[in-house]
This record gives sequence, structure tokens and C-alpha cells, in this order.
Amino acid sequence: MKKIKTISDLNAIRKVLENDRIDSEDKKVIVKVAMSTCSIATGSKKVISFFREQMGLEAIDSLVVQTGCMGLCHSEPTVIVSVPGKDSVIFGNVTEKKVNEIITSYIKEGNDIEGVLLKKNS
Amino acid sequence: MKKDKQIKLALKNCGSIDPEKIENYIAVDGYKALGTCLGEKGSSEIIDVIKASGLRGRGGGGFPTGEKWEMASKFVADQKYVICNADEGDPGAFMDRSILEGDPHVVLEAMAICGYSIGATEGYIYIRAEYPLAIKRLKMAIDQAKEAGLLGINILGSGFDFDIRLKYGAGAFVCGEETALIASMEGKRGTPVIKPPYPVECGYKGKPTIVNNVETYANIPVIINKGAEWFSSIGTSGSKGTKVFALAGKVKNVGLVEVPMGTTLRELIYDIGGGIINGKKFKAVQSGGPSGGCLTEKHLDTPIDYESLKECGSMMGSGGMIVMDEDDCMVAVAQFYLDFSVEESCGKCVPCREGNHVLYQILNKITHGKGELKDLDKLKAISEVVKSTSLCGLGQTSPNPVLSTLTNFYDEYYDHVVNKKCVSKQCRALVEYKIIEDNCIGCTACKRVCPAEAITGEVKGKHVIDPELCIKCGACIEKCKFNAIIVE
Repeated sequence: MKKIKTISDLNAIRKVLENDRIDSEDKKVIVKVAMSTCSIATGSKKVISFFREQMGLEAIDSLVVQTGCMGLCHSEPTVIVSVPGKDSVIFGNVTEKKVNEIITSYIKEGNDIEGVLLKKNS
Repeated sequence: MKKDKQIKLALKNCGSIDPEKIENYIAVDGYKALGTCLGEKGSSEIIDVIKASGLRGRGGGGFPTGEKWEMASKFVADQKYVICNADEGDPGAFMDRSILEGDPHVVLEAMAICGYSIGATEGYIYIRAEYPLAIKRLKMAIDQAKEAGLLGINILGSGFDFDIRLKYGAGAFVCGEETALIASMEGKRGTPVIKPPYPVECGYKGKPTIVNNVETYANIPVIINKGAEWFSSIGTSGSKGTKVFALAGKVKNVGLVEVPMGTTLRELIYDIGGGIINGKKFKAVQSGGPSGGCLTEKHLDTPIDYESLKECGSMMGSGGMIVMDEDDCMVAVAQFYLDFSVEESCGKCVPCREGNHVLYQILNKITHGKGELKDLDKLKAISEVVKSTSLCGLGQTSPNPVLSTLTNFYDEYYDHVVNKKCVSKQCRALVEYKIIEDNCIGCTACKRVCPAEAITGEVKGKHVIDPELCIKCGACIEKCKFNAIIVE
């Protein structure tokens, strides 16, 4: 990142970054994979790379990003999936098999599938 | 997991932003509080906001953060230091790790704000070397913040300089105590020193130093952004804001939760935690790690705040919350925590070094069926001495698990010493394995698996366990398909 020299510059940069965020969330499928020590221990590294690979193969306009953990240790690895126009949904105990199901059934066909921990309005 | 009872302030970005990208943090009001402070607020103004918010230290002690900053700001010195205590050591606690791994910038921003308010230009994060991912993300965050001009020389053109470095701890529990932490940072042995003088006056390298916990810092930016009044509207009269807990043990939804102060233990364990696993009965909840106490059913409606927990004989601690069910033996639990305290005592002061060791030995005697009634009085008396005469927080609180279990589960202690029984069947020396003749069909499965060759019997004949040879490993119970083996 370029050096921010003044407080007003910081505020201007924040505006740009905020807008970027909203724009991208409007049209793209966002997948957030929890990647803290506990999540990684239960296999989230595999999950994130498999998601990236499959989303690429399926040519879905998407963004797969890592985050810290949400604290849902009982169900790691956890993943938040946001499809444009829908509430974000948190999936727990995600495996490669589950990733396939999320992509084909939930994201592409728009079906409700099992494994949802909770819905999130964000 | 029900989410409605949770309010996320310290954890607000954990799980929603990429912790390795500063752009993500800036987009969610990151470094806004620092900008506000540098641009619009003087040192005393910021301290007033923190004081008015009612924020208290989240590491366990609960000292008012604003007051601590004010004291440090008033001492005159050529250099002052801001330290972040990330030496999280309670068994089962991982609040700080989660914050550092999920939102490292929030801690950097808060430390810079603290530096600006007390007049310090150097900050250190004392972090356990056992947290490699947190260290990696912190290093990344510091580099990014420096590159963006949010740390370093002349931050945002304000003329304020602030730099943050990491110091690694080798994992000694006592180094979470601030004076021991400072000693360890100075390259000395990690042992506490007598207070006063407090670190705010004479800390790292003899200069005024602020030591705050990770979670305490994580609350600072949101207080500056949303105001003291907003923050103090959450919580109880003496404890403001929220507290993060690592909910663990025999509870369905193990995990990290953040609830407003004043939430009851019942809400935490049953509504958020989903109750006890396998339909067992709740027995106790241990809060505050090795320094805390075990609370029972009758305490379930206690609101969680600094004072209420202390009144019940436990403490807030850093936020470990371990739930126990009917299968847990409370004497063994007290022994487990004492074992930890004995191991982690630095050995500097006699009450902690010797007293905890004696307590442990007495508990060991009781769980091995050799306890006497007078041992219970001894436990209490020694605990009181260790508590009131130890040098630092470790010894002053280490007997809490013993005292609280003695008070709340006296019957269990009594059973152990007088009837030589362990109701939870956890203390091996006090149980016996037996075969119920009517259920045994003589399949020989138990006999074959027994490592001590304590089981005798012919095929299709009744089997018998020799109590003299039995080592009570439980292997036979796992093999028996006919519920023929019982523990008494």
C-alpha cells in the first residue's frame, strides 16, 4: 500500500475501499474460509484451495478469501458463502465433498442444502 | 448456535475480513480511531473517553484501563513504553490468539492510540512463541502499517512517531504477570517483583509502561469511534462492554463467544453453548483458569461481571470457561489445576513454591484413597496462607480451585476421605471393576484384552476379575458387548 500522508488522505482511501467492497459483493459470489490455527488444524487449507480450484473450473464470478475464525470451534472448518441477492450463510464441518455440494447445489442451482449453521445478515 | 445473545466488539472483524490485508481493515473503519485521535483529540481527551467508557482490563485483574493510562501519562520521562500482553497461558483459553489471528491491525491501532495518549513512541507485543500463525500475521500487519505510514515516523503528518516490535515468550505462565513479563522482556528471569512501584511508574527499562491485554486493546478503537456513552450502555453498572469467553469442556457448542457483561452463566452455557453433551447432568463451571473457581448449579443465574464472579469465589480471569458434567470428579479437577500451578510457579516466594506443592500432595493423597478428615482442614488452612502471602497474582489465586471445590463440593471430598468413594468414578484407586455373573456369557473377550491378565474364566463359563491384579484401565469394559462389567 502507498504511504498515507494525512488524515484526510486516509479517509479518502477508506471511502474508495468501502465502495470497492460493496460493489464486489453485489455481483460476485463471496466465499470466506476461516483460516486460524484451529480451522487449519481441521483442514481449512484444503478447503480453501479446493474452493479456488472448483470455482475456477466452474467459471463462477467469485472471490474466495481467508478470514480469522468466527469462534464456531465445534464445527470447523467453517465457511461463509454470500450469493448476490441472498443472505450470507455459514456452513460448518466443510469437506471437499461438501464444497462440491455447495457449489453445484447451493450456488449454481440455488437450492437450500444441509449443513447450514446459521444465516447472517451482513 | 444462537447468536442473538452475543455482541461482537472485540471480535467484530474476526471471521469477516482477511487479516493479512490492511485494505480490508481500513475499509471497515480501520485506523479511523487513530486518525480521529491524532487529528482532533489531545492526550487527556482520549484518556477521558476511555475512563468514561468504564473499560476494565480484560486479562483478568479488571483494573480500569483509563485510570492506568492517566497514571502513565502523568509521569514525566524521556521515554515511555506501551506493551501488549499476548502471553495467553490459561489451559483451554484462546481468546487472544483468535483476535491476533483474525484482526491483528486492531491491536496495532489501539497501541498507537495508547502511545499517543501517554506520550510513548515505542510499543512491544509480548507474544508466546507457541503462536506461530499469530506471530506471522502480526509481523505482516506491522510491515503493512509501516508501509502505509500508519506506524513509524510522523504518522499521518501529525508529528507523532510510534513503532511496534515483537518480543517472544517461551511459554512460562507466570510471564503473564506484568512485572514478570517486563523482567522477561529485559532478558532477565521471568519472575515477578513487589509492587509498588507499578509498571505505570517504573516498568520496562525503569520507564513508565502500560501493560494491557490483547482483548483490552481490541476494545479501544470501537470506543473512540462510537463514543464512551455508547460503550458504557452495554454491560452492568460496574463492568462495561462485553467479554470474550473460550467455552470448552462438556458443552455442545465449544467455541469462542462474546457476550455483554451481565449475561448469566446459564445463558452462556445453555442458550449459546447448547447445554451439556450426551444429555448428561451439569455439575460445575470453572471460570478464570487455574486462578478461578468452580461454580455450581446454584450459581448458574449469576451475572457474569468482575464483582459477581469474585463474590462466588471465582473470578473473571482472562476468559476460559470450562464446563463439567456428572462424570467429572471435583477433587481430581482441583488436583489438575494445582498440578498446573505447581509446574508454573516461578519459585521466587515460599508460599507459592512450597504451599502449592503441599496442597497438591494432599489432594493426591485424597484421590488415592489415603486421605483423612483432618486433611480437609489442612487444605483450607494452607490455601488461605498461600492466598494471602504470595508475591504475585499466580500464588494469590492458585488455591481458588481448591477453596471453591471445598466449599461447593464438600460432600465429594467427604466421600473420598471417609467412605473412600469417588462418585464420578474417576479416581482409579477408589473404584473396583466387577463382572456381573448373570450378564456374562463367557465369550472371553475381556480376558483376551486384559493387559494385566487379571481376568480368569473358561469359554462359556463365568469370568472373574482379580482386584489385586486389576490396573483399572477400562479395556475390558470397552470390549464387553453384554454390559457385564461394571465400575463401583
